[in-house]
Amino acid sequence: MAKSKTIKVDYLARVEGEGALYIRYDDGGVHDVKLKIFEPPRFFEGFMRGRDYLEAPDITARICGICPVAYQMSALHAMEDALGLVPTPELSALRRLIYCGEWIESHTLHIYMLHAPDFLGYPSAVAMAKDHPKIVQVGLQIKKAGNAIVKLLGGREIHPINVRVGGFYRVPAASELKPLREQLLQARDMAAETVRWAASLPFPKFERSAEDQYEFVALSHSQEYPMNKGRIASTRGLDIPVSEYDSHFREEHVEYTNALHSVLVERGAYFVGPMARYNLNYDRLSPLVRQTAEDIGFPPFCANPFQSIVVRSLEVLYAFDEALRIIDGYQQPQEPYLNTEPRASTGCAATEAPRGLLYHRYSIDERGKITDAKIVPPTSQNQKTIEDDLRHMLPKFLHLPEDKLQAQCEQAIRNYDPCISCSTHFLQLHLERSGRVGQ
Amino acid sequence: MHEQSLIKNLVEKIHLLASSESDRLVAARLRLGALAHISAEHLREHFEREIIGTPLEGLRLQIEEQSDIHHAEAQEIILDSLEFEDSHGD
Repeated sequence: MAKSKTIKVDYLARVEGEGALYIRYDDGGVHDVKLKIFEPPRFFEGFMRGRDYLEAPDITARICGICPVAYQMSALHAMEDALGLVPTPELSALRRLIYCGEWIESHTLHIYMLHAPDFLGYPSAVAMAKDHPKIVQVGLQIKKAGNAIVKLLGGREIHPINVRVGGFYRVPAASELKPLREQLLQARDMAAETVRWAASLPFPKFERSAEDQYEFVALSHSQEYPMNKGRIASTRGLDIPVSEYDSHFREEHVEYTNALHSVLVERGAYFVGPMARYNLNYDRLSPLVRQTAEDIGFPPFCANPFQSIVVRSLEVLYAFDEALRIIDGYQQPQEPYLNTEPRASTGCAATEAPRGLLYHRYSIDERGKITDAKIVPPTSQNQKTIEDDLRHMLPKFLHLPEDKLQAQCEQAIRNYDPCISCSTHFLQLHLERSGRVGQ
Repeated sequence: MHEQSLIKNLVEKIHLLASSESDRLVAARLRLGALAHISAEHLREHFEREIIGTPLEGLRLQIEEQSDIHHAEAQEIILDSLEFEDSHGD
């Protein structure tokens, strides 16, 4: 009989820090701010070419382990746009339900594990949990409820496998949704508590002047708080159908980073994400959410990015409220999906990922093979605004010791919850003063 | 896909350790912290995909899920140990 032996290793698997911030300044002020993202090019748009149109939702879901549903939703809506397919109201409701699950999962992770330790002065959620165990436990409970939605509709909690062009591979019976209801009701109460707790955090005072105010950009829909549909609107009057996205937004290559920067043509930086959705669609939130915002004295328009943690918590509360509304009115679709036939065409769609507007455009040939793909994630759309924020904030922070300065910069970057490793891990800080370079 | 670099990092370490042993690697044991941003199921799926076609294919992966959110390694994934079998059969 073969002998066996075990060796002890205790090796930590780590995601390496993949973000760096470069600041050039002197006594006259801050002259240059560059947020560098080191992630290698991922070629998703390239290797989509030649794949079948039905594969797009599952392939693009792999772009992110935190918001795969967003990629699936944008991909399948773009394909349906290309094919002239309109999902039934029952299928649309289920898509909205799974999106609620993802908003809850993603926002809760950000609120409790990444952003809250910044406000409370802890280096990590683990350190925070020592003094605030209840807070972390509540966060985990809320996130579990979001996971339960995604698992039920998507087949598993992460990288769901049950959505497809035209609908779902399988739709649940009403009886399957009922057990979820109780869990969501309890979690909704915890989410309401989270809003009050988030509003009590100490916020740095930071608002831009009126002439330098952000241009918030989000989907906007007459009846719904936006998730899967709507026109693209902005606080400076942009109001276009998604089909005109490419005429108004442009991606630029910037020499110091692999991530593309997206700009509004002729206007430059803009701001997508929960604050943009909230500021443009406040009156489409449910009465419970608006009442909760009113109770804590939180205004319908918020332009302090540090308060995005409150907006995220309001959106979590909304996602529970909306999920319960959908479950209570659920009508099982007659067919799990609408049949599709490929044809040579081009289609596009934008949906609201937890981090903001996510645009997909595809061209397919008559056999349904993808000939061209374009994907613009929220992080690339916010990157210029993140740099602008740092440029505005840094003059106030430059007197701080370097470790405190780094913590302030990390917190400011985390306001946006960018989908890069530096949002969760170490950010390298490079300071250059009067020609000297320090790290 | 932040998890991808994490899994690659782990697999590379296992490769490295296994290459310095003369015996056959049969199992790897991981500890998954209570606050690690990945579920055991998700971790296993990615890991098994990563080792397809490599000498590690077929490796038994044991994941111990930890529940203590106060643990110093609660956000981490730790490679705890590797199990080898005598490849000479004696």
